Amino acid sequence: MIRKNPYIYYGRKILAFALSVLILSVVVFYIARLAPGDPLVSYYGERVERMSTQQRQWAEEKLGLNAPIYVQYIRWLQNAVKGDFGISFKYKMDVLEVIGERLGNTLILGGIAFVLIFAGALGLGILCAWKEDGWLDRCICKIGTITSCIPEFWLSLVLILIFAVNLRLLPSGGAYAIGHKNDIGDRVVHLILPMTVAVINHLWYYAFMIRNKLLDEVRADYVLLAKSKGLDKKRIIFHHCLRNIVPSYLSLMAISVPHILGGTYIIETVFSYPGIGTLSYESARYQDYNLLMVLCIFTGAVVILFHMIAQIINERIDPRMREQEIVDTTEVTEIG
Amino acid sequence: MDNLFVQVGIRPIPAPQVKKQKWGRGKPLASIAVLTLILLSCLFCDFFIPKDPTYMDLYHANVAPNSEFWFGTDTMGRDIFSMIFYGGRISLFIGFFATLISTAIAIIFGAISGLAPKWLDEVLMRFTEILLSIPNLLLIIFVQAILGKANVLSISLVIGITGWTSIAKVVRTEVRQIRSAEYVVASRCMGAGFFHILWKHLIPNFVSSIMFMVVMNIRGAIGAESTLSFMGIGLPLEVISWGSMLSLSEKVLLSGSWWLILIPGAFLVVTLLCVTNIGNYLRKCGNRKVSNL
Repeated sequence: MIRKNPYIYYGRKILAFALSVLILSVVVFYIARLAPGDPLVSYYGERVERMSTQQRQWAEEKLGLNAPIYVQYIRWLQNAVKGDFGISFKYKMDVLEVIGERLGNTLILGGIAFVLIFAGALGLGILCAWKEDGWLDRCICKIGTITSCIPEFWLSLVLILIFAVNLRLLPSGGAYAIGHKNDIGDRVVHLILPMTVAVINHLWYYAFMIRNKLLDEVRADYVLLAKSKGLDKKRIIFHHCLRNIVPSYLSLMAISVPHILGGTYIIETVFSYPGIGTLSYESARYQDYNLLMVLCIFTGAVVILFHMIAQIINERIDPRMREQEIVDTTEVTEIG
Repeated sequence: MDNLFVQVGIRPIPAPQVKKQKWGRGKPLASIAVLTLILLSCLFCDFFIPKDPTYMDLYHANVAPNSEFWFGTDTMGRDIFSMIFYGGRISLFIGFFATLISTAIAIIFGAISGLAPKWLDEVLMRFTEILLSIPNLLLIIFVQAILGKANVLSISLVIGITGWTSIAKVVRTEVRQIRSAEYVVASRCMGAGFFHILWKHLIPNFVSSIMFMVVMNIRGAIGAESTLSFMGIGLPLEVISWGSMLSLSEKVLLSGSWWLILIPGAFLVVTLLCVTNIGNYLRKCGNRKVSNL
């Protein structure tokens, strides 16, 4: 498909991406506006209750909240195309500025966790498949099932209780101690606990997927052929089987993005780590529309983008794969 | 003379001798037993809990476990031992009810999408993909905001209507495989309606492949309720559930009241673990055709 006409192929992909993001923005916009709650409160705070009707009208007009929703949406879209996403009602700053301050923190937490999870999952998966049904495999499986059952927030609480409260080894929250904003060592110390929770929580799920995929591969006919030719186990697994699970590994990575991201959001809230997770939680609670819009669209766009990248890579690696056939998430929707 | 002629072709392989297995082997008996125990003791907790779980005994607030309060009391002086079983009812109810909602939505949506013409199917599946792309937490906060103040029903509804997409995908794939089978066509020729076909022909065919996901959905829903209540967007403190009990724990974290965190959490984790084990067992039984992803 790619060879036929790359322009049409990539053009269609980009179009689909843009369309998805557009629909996403409409949906989020409508849900946010239809939700009860007073966005003026987040802008003016307690003063809203003392406002007269005229003042309210004036304020709503000034923030553009009195027009019908679709007019508001079109207005928002026109500005957004120019790169102006409005101001955050709560922080009274440009939305992008508010996010920019915190985005880095989340990217560090989520990104490193992502790398650790997938490196670890690959290692564990291979180890388990290698020692299939041995005691090591069974032990890892049992421990893994238990860790995957522990809710993120509770694990965070327990770790805080042990390491921050009782042993006083690690800080209980935040991204850096006051006055140590640029101290890398201090930041690393603050990252240890949230990172541990993020990795422990997701590691097993993906390791298990990889293990199962590998076990499927090991039962394929070509492995028998390779074995009868005299190749040893190491070479078969690393040269033949691993190559065949790469497509599923990649789509697994893409699909994991919303889960890991959602997980980081919860972890950030528990550890009061200043990332976009805490920010979106706040903005949803205080009806900070502009901020919420951008955060949702950003998260959604990242996820959709990763889906598409996985599709493209898959089709290049394995031409048998048709467009729709990415790995179905047979995952239970856990929160996040 | 018969033996002179040898059959050509695939050599007949004698069926492997299946060892007679003991009845309980491979079945998650321990998990089922523990889960049943928890379920029953939550259902019939009125008969054995020593204190009124809603009564706030302010003289004995934040007491460590002792002979009177077996699991200690929380910061409002409520007896944790009583609260666990009393609140377990609500947590488990939310788990089952939310799963019921999401399974119903998933089956109907997946069946429509599976039976629909190609373009509609495409649109519906894109829609689910977009829905999947919003982190569930944000979605839940939204819907919760629309429904207003949380109560048990609204929170089950919220968790239910945000958790159906992955089941719907499987249902759709299964339905597409059997949509043009003779019995479905015949049934349709005889004038059967959508729900008749769904109930009589489709559901019996795909029920085994979604069973595992439905069980896992229960786990997801219980976990989601506790996470939401913990973060303060779920059930309020007065409504006792495992999640709302844990929502107190962030405040007591620094005072070191470990019993408030560890005990309800342990119950939560054990329940989730049992449900997972049962789900995994169902996956092994039911997923012979489907990939074992």
